[in-house]
Amino acid sequence: MRRLRAAAILALVGLLLAPAAAFAKSDFQPQEEFKLDPYVSIHIGGLDLSINKAVVYLMISTVLSIGFGIFVVRGGLRMRPTKAQNAVELIYDFVDEQIARQTLPASVFSRWFPYVATLFIFIGINNLISFIPLPVGHESSLGGLPDFALYAATANINVTLALTLCTFIIYNYEGVRAHGVIGYLKTLAPEGLNPVMRTLVFALELLSNILRLVSLSVRLFANMLAGHLLIIVSAGFVILIGNFAGIIAIPIGVFFYFFEWVLIAGLQAFIFAMLSGIYIGFAVEAPH
Amino acid sequence: MALEGNVQDAAKTLALGLATAFGAIGPGAGVGYLMGKTVESVARQPELRGEIMGLTFLGLALTEAITFYALLMGFVAFFIS
Repeated sequence: MRRLRAAAILALVGLLLAPAAAFAKSDFQPQEEFKLDPYVSIHIGGLDLSINKAVVYLMISTVLSIGFGIFVVRGGLRMRPTKAQNAVELIYDFVDEQIARQTLPASVFSRWFPYVATLFIFIGINNLISFIPLPVGHESSLGGLPDFALYAATANINVTLALTLCTFIIYNYEGVRAHGVIGYLKTLAPEGLNPVMRTLVFALELLSNILRLVSLSVRLFANMLAGHLLIIVSAGFVILIGNFAGIIAIPIGVFFYFFEWVLIAGLQAFIFAMLSGIYIGFAVEAPH
Repeated sequence: MALEGNVQDAAKTLALGLATAFGAIGPGAGVGYLMGKTVESVARQPELRGEIMGLTFLGLALTEAITFYALLMGFVAFFIS
């Protein structure tokens, strides 16, 4: 069993390190991997709703995220849990204790715990499946089948910005719901300061509130994009520098592949969910 | 001595290299300081190791994000402009 698993992992990594069509071409364009060409073109009134590589990946991760919970609970929860139920309970306890209890205040906990848990599971599954080589490359070899390549749906600023906008709207809505519009703006500037300092602090806090949109989305986007670009560039380093001394980059690429898959994928999902919880918590009960 | 070759390509490569290099200075110092503080606090109170590790991972991800902002701008300069 262990040897079978080791062989499977080696085969996965080998699929990546075989840029078959790239050996035929003289230029190496890793940024083409992140270009989205539509598989099925759908244009409705000026909006481009085509089904492309990112949409397919999002659909796969949606099915996995929903199935992850539903198929375990539908079968009936037992006192002696099956392996699947164990896994679901592990994830649930992790999100409950480490993310939601630490960040959401008691008044909004039951309302927004599903949102924070969904963020963690959805982004986590998106990041994890992005390291499985699937035939979604931008070049084809072997008779029309696209090359095996990696792609992360979260390596697209549109996906991360959409999730960030949800968090932004939710925490502002919660702040207004808890304090009223004027009261919410008053929580941005603490009480016991002279008026000059107060306006300065208010302006800075307002700016940092708006910039949360940028930082939250770009953090996830840049982490995933940089990780995948590093792997692609180190796998094709021989072609990039046109010299077989580039073979030295392959162990570096393998190290980054496992480092990213094991650590960064889950960590970025954890950070996104935790920061969403923290922002909701700050909006309701500011710690000033 | 005249410059040969494509100045634009040279500038793009330089931008990518400088962005990566300068962007790694601050977060490198920050992550080192954070891990030092972690070791110190676990040495003081070993029973809080789990909680402190949770906070450490949070701080690690937030600090590493800064280097990615710089790397992202380098990629934009190299691949897009």
